[in-house]
Amino acid sequence: MKKRHDLAKRILFLYLPLFVLMVFILFPFYWTFVTSIKPEEELYGAVVTYWPRSVTFEAYSKLFTTTVNFLQAMKNSLIVAASTTVVSLTASTLAAYAFSRYHFAGRKVLMSIFLCNNMFPTVLLLIPLYTIMRRLGLLYQPASLVLSYTTFTIPFSVWLLIGFLNDLPMSLEEAAMVDGCNRGQAFVKIVLPILVPSMVATGVYIFMQSWNEYTFAMMFTNNDTRTIPVALKSLIGQLGVQWDLLTAGGIITIIPVCIMFFFAQKRLVEGLTAGAVKG
Amino acid sequence: MVKKQSIWPYLLVAPAVLIILCVVFIPVINAILMSFQSYDLRRPKDIAFIGLGNYIEAFSDSLFWNALLRTIIWVVFGVGFQFFFGFVLALLLNQSFRGRGPIRAVSMIPWVTPGVLIGLMWRWIYDGNSGVLNDILLKLHLITDKIPFLSQTSTAFPSVIVTIIWQGIPFFALMILAALQGVSHDMYEAAEMDGATPFQKLIYVTIPSIKNTIFVTGLLRIIWVANSVDVIFNMTSGGPAYSTQTLSVYVYNKGNSLDLGYASAMALLMTLLLLLVVIPYLKMNFKEEK
Amino acid sequence: MKKRNLAKKTLAASMAALMAAGALTACSSGSSTASTTAAAAAETAAAETEAAADSGAEADTSAEAVTIKFRYWADNTDYSALMQDIIAKFNEENGKGITVVGEEQPWDGGAYSENLFTAKMGGGDIDCATWKLTATPLFVNNDLLADLTPYIDAWENKDDIDDNIYNIMKEAGGSDAIYVMPWNVQILYVYYRPSIFEAAGVEVPTTYDEFLTAIEKCTMDTDGDGKIDVYGFGMRGSTGGQEPWGSFIHGRGGSFEDMTTAESVAGMQDFIDIYTNGYVPPTAVSDGFNEIIANFKSGLTAMTIHHTGSSAGMEETFGDDVSAFAFPAGDGQWTSMGDTETVIFESCENKEAAFEWVSYLASGEGQKMWCEGTGNVPVSKSLQETDFFQNNRFMVASIEGQSYAGILPILDTTTEWVATTWPNTVAQALTGQITAEQCMQTLQDGLYQ
Repeated sequence: MKKRHDLAKRILFLYLPLFVLMVFILFPFYWTFVTSIKPEEELYGAVVTYWPRSVTFEAYSKLFTTTVNFLQAMKNSLIVAASTTVVSLTASTLAAYAFSRYHFAGRKVLMSIFLCNNMFPTVLLLIPLYTIMRRLGLLYQPASLVLSYTTFTIPFSVWLLIGFLNDLPMSLEEAAMVDGCNRGQAFVKIVLPILVPSMVATGVYIFMQSWNEYTFAMMFTNNDTRTIPVALKSLIGQLGVQWDLLTAGGIITIIPVCIMFFFAQKRLVEGLTAGAVKG
Repeated sequence: MVKKQSIWPYLLVAPAVLIILCVVFIPVINAILMSFQSYDLRRPKDIAFIGLGNYIEAFSDSLFWNALLRTIIWVVFGVGFQFFFGFVLALLLNQSFRGRGPIRAVSMIPWVTPGVLIGLMWRWIYDGNSGVLNDILLKLHLITDKIPFLSQTSTAFPSVIVTIIWQGIPFFALMILAALQGVSHDMYEAAEMDGATPFQKLIYVTIPSIKNTIFVTGLLRIIWVANSVDVIFNMTSGGPAYSTQTLSVYVYNKGNSLDLGYASAMALLMTLLLLLVVIPYLKMNFKEEK
Repeated sequence: MKKRNLAKKTLAASMAALMAAGALTACSSGSSTASTTAAAAAETAAAETEAAADSGAEADTSAEAVTIKFRYWADNTDYSALMQDIIAKFNEENGKGITVVGEEQPWDGGAYSENLFTAKMGGGDIDCATWKLTATPLFVNNDLLADLTPYIDAWENKDDIDDNIYNIMKEAGGSDAIYVMPWNVQILYVYYRPSIFEAAGVEVPTTYDEFLTAIEKCTMDTDGDGKIDVYGFGMRGSTGGQEPWGSFIHGRGGSFEDMTTAESVAGMQDFIDIYTNGYVPPTAVSDGFNEIIANFKSGLTAMTIHHTGSSAGMEETFGDDVSAFAFPAGDGQWTSMGDTETVIFESCENKEAAFEWVSYLASGEGQKMWCEGTGNVPVSKSLQETDFFQNNRFMVASIEGQSYAGILPILDTTTEWVATTWPNTVAQALTGQITAEQCMQTLQDGLYQ
């Protein structure tokens, strides 16, 4: 096909910029990895080594055998992030559809309030929030995190989905409704399939936010329910940073999410073909 | 747009609205009330209603004005470059090439990295003594003496901005990539038949087709970056000599010191500032709908 | 397939709605929490002091099982494991049916105290916790801490801890009551590298002026490439740096009470001079604990100031080529006493049981295990006299400094002053934006506002 003719062009417009961007994006990750397998004396040396002279994976085993109890933290993080994604994405999709396709009293006000919801720094809300969680009996339970993360991801998710929905031509559903579908059917049969990539993207956003959140996780959990960011933070004491454990923990946190994203991104393409057929 | 009265939209937004209302309603009202009081929990016996006292104090606080100015720079450069690189990355990742799946996955890494780690790793990279960035620049003969990036008032702020750019690229890349999937092929074909160059296709087809997404993601990101604390806090805590103290970091520092009245007042002022950005957008958004 | 999808969605939606409804009802009652807990706290306070007065040290509730929730931070995973061992040992051996449940929280760059405060203000059920003295005014002003005076007075090991330490605890609380239970201290001293001293031709300084000279002389270009390879001193300009800095201020005869005197300003000027003269790494302005230790360990600096908490690591790196001396005297002499204590909260329902635990940490087996395991200076006099602490060169430098060691004035402004005012103002002075005089004026105003 075109490929061979445009090899130079492809290098200039695809591979070269991609390479530069990826170096910028991945170098800190590489450096985190290298740090995690360096023995401590090499870490602070005057000579910077780009690959450790002696490689050690001790930190990785220490993560799971010492008091860090990283496996439990990973499990907790996964439960919280997955539940938040389901709850928040569902509520957001419904709300976004209503905002995008219906005109109702209070719509503008609600949309504006949603946007302002996240403008307020959480540090100022913590004491009353803690009281609320305690009153609800959710303290030290993953549900407290799911509830707070849902609260703080819904507004952005709704707006993101409104953005995506408004980019979708309304003619699609109208055509379906002319064909005899009601609005609900039109939504499920026509809109939802096209919306899949956007929902995947929004879901990723929700997942990442809840996966990485620290302040609420630190306030609302205990040893049994603490999540990854809290476990990592506990490696930084008054006597300095336990670099080996911290970076190893970082790597272990990143890899499963990347793998999950690898499968999720395939959905981005599926959505494309679904849309193309309908269009 | 359906205009007739129906109960459906209310039912659809109900879950989202209820969750938000019951979790943040009381805390936010509480914070607004605190902003009109000398609400310093270190001196709970002196808490009293002082009207606009905190706001007046903010207006005469040079740290507040400096932080405000810094916030604007932080947002303009931070979000601007995040968007630019994210957009470019999305366009690149939307083309088909070998290994696209894995590359899409690893390009999300900055976003996946726990915030706790981001600040520390970058601090470590920038380190003025054994940091790798200095080592690279020395080896490339770009500098002759090591630069203490985070120790100089001139270099600390640009350094943290680079970090926030790094962290934000994947968000834009992902959102724009998702939006690109909705762009109809017919339009590209039509444009090609008219003899459009790739650049023209980008300007006349791609961007108009995803403009809602661009607007929304840009707007959300502005709010997010303006409020972000953890990158700066973990790297410099706002120092040295307040040179990296944005408004949100200032609020955070004051909040941590439990001077909650003053912190809330500044937070509300920042919200008002953000509204200046948001309202024109909302107006445009709502106008276009009609 | 689509139907199933829809079903899943409705399920999730109703779940969300349910959660929301539940939350709403709770919120309406949530607003009044603050006042009710405060009232309840006051009530229990009255009841408790009465109970404490007549129950004394002997609590004969031995039959009843009591659970004490104890929150602590650990500086690394070893300390975390050690604390869990001590808790397990106490639970096994106390014989009074007391079970301590340890909850670890991150140190969070010092925000540990604020996080604890938020939890207690929100009605969290923590009974006792490890402590930093600087947080005391905040908690005392909000009536969150239990007055330990009656318990300590009735305690058989009361005299094992020096009166001076109790006085410091009282000072922090701002009254004659003791709210804070001593646990262990860290006294700052100067680490130095004998080999670098030898190369620079300096002796261990005995006066403040000699110390300044040693800093200058140890700053060397060892390989002759025209660049400095060894700096005389590892200065901590970031948070926490106020502790070593205080020694400079006092070395010139200044004090924290009035930081604007000519003597205090002269001490500040010394601090600025060693930076601008290049006797410290150019990163000093933002160097924190990690950096000063890393720079010392990599051989970049000849001296730095810290306490026994880092001595094990130092010995591991250098063997015999690292030693310590107490900060020398000039017109005045001062070194910082770091501190870690424990407290019992007013909301705790079994204060006698909680006191059993915190006193176990202060002079019992807990004290021994903790101080030997971490290398911190014990508060128990009998433990200080044991061989373990007498035969360690770093411990000796610590104990030597004990006579003139002090703490920053503990006011309600101290935490903010330490976290933001000090590092930023000093950074402005070091980088030449303000003079030493202006700097000291700002610091004075910030602490005594």
